[in-house]
Amino acid sequence: MSRDPYETLGVSRDASQKDIQSAYRKLAKNLHPDLNPGDKAAEEKFKGVSAAYSLLSDEEKRKKFDRGEIDATGAETAPPRDYYRDYASHGSTGGRYENRSAFSDFGDADDVFSSFFSRRNRPQGPIKGRDAHYAMEVDFLEAVNGAKKKITLPDGTALDLQIPAGTRDGQTLRLRGKGEPGFNNGPPGDALIDITVRPHPIFKVDGDDVRYEVPISLSEAVLGGKIRVPTVSGAVNVTLAPNSNTGKTLRLKGKGLHKHGGGHGDAFVTLKVVLPDEPDSELTEFVKNWEAGTRHDPRKTMGGGV
Amino acid sequence: MKDTELCAYLQIEVRVLDLWVQQRWLVPEERGGMREFHNADLARGRLILDLIGPMGVNEDGVDVAMNLLDQVHALRGKLAELVAALREEELEVQKRILSRIDFE
Repeated sequence: MSRDPYETLGVSRDASQKDIQSAYRKLAKNLHPDLNPGDKAAEEKFKGVSAAYSLLSDEEKRKKFDRGEIDATGAETAPPRDYYRDYASHGSTGGRYENRSAFSDFGDADDVFSSFFSRRNRPQGPIKGRDAHYAMEVDFLEAVNGAKKKITLPDGTALDLQIPAGTRDGQTLRLRGKGEPGFNNGPPGDALIDITVRPHPIFKVDGDDVRYEVPISLSEAVLGGKIRVPTVSGAVNVTLAPNSNTGKTLRLKGKGLHKHGGGHGDAFVTLKVVLPDEPDSELTEFVKNWEAGTRHDPRKTMGGGV
Repeated sequence: MKDTELCAYLQIEVRVLDLWVQQRWLVPEERGGMREFHNADLARGRLILDLIGPMGVNEDGVDVAMNLLDQVHALRGKLAELVAALREEELEVQKRILSRIDFE
């Protein structure tokens, strides 16, 4: 639900809590899936209205939303649920709630229909259970390289979840048969797990490529040579040309993310020359006497009155 | 599931569950003298909580709503059976029956 919760409930932004409650009640009576057993679309609409109400009926959350601190999706914490209508319409209540006396008058006549109205409804055939939806956060490197995670489902069962290498943010993993139980001996549904990949402090994703900065020492920058550079799949040796400056970008082929159709993106590594943390007297002395250094003006093309 | 499990899912006390069972809003299965609840009862319990909570329906209102709801489901079941049976008939028969109930 990305819609404005005020809009969803049809109230103004300065509506009182009482207004919000009565707006919700009106909508819920029309939209609750159990009060609309035949309306498939009712469930989605009711979910939106419930999420809007749970945000606006909580004065703390409402204030935060008004100040822009949380967005409307912040209210969508309601876990997925199944509705009674799903069980009743599949005849899987074992007749415990069947109310047949209510239309026994249809079967009054001494005809072929009398038994039809007096006996219990026939349960439908096997029906697959619903899919259960979960959300999970994984670290960036776990998603890139794959990982085994233990998850605990709401019913207490622990599962080993294999995060495949190359999993992307927003991807959904499916665990077959780990959803809601089926009706009338139908197979259970699947568990669908929406994966959110936590951003990495260094590696930034750019399509299939990864971009990041790598610090190099002054000596490495001036002299060049072999350096070790971290990548998402482990460190690699990179040869620097002499006089490699800050801002220079190297391309490490195939060191990016798994591509959808196979293969890998690249890593783009931008160099950053870093001085030693502590001033070094030898270096200071050298630079003082370094004739060409005093004439070097890296800002000469900047303009702006330099 | 047992009483305690159902109560935990619904976050209600056992005496509330007892009341619901007494009102026949929930009808557990009897198994060896023990009450056994199913997922259908859990879903039904959530509906009852929606009604008495955010929707502001009182106890008598829930009674009326659940009773009518059970009738609706029983009727829907009968209607589904009837329609399924009619679909098995030849098209001519289906059309003849439809013509008797179609007022347009």
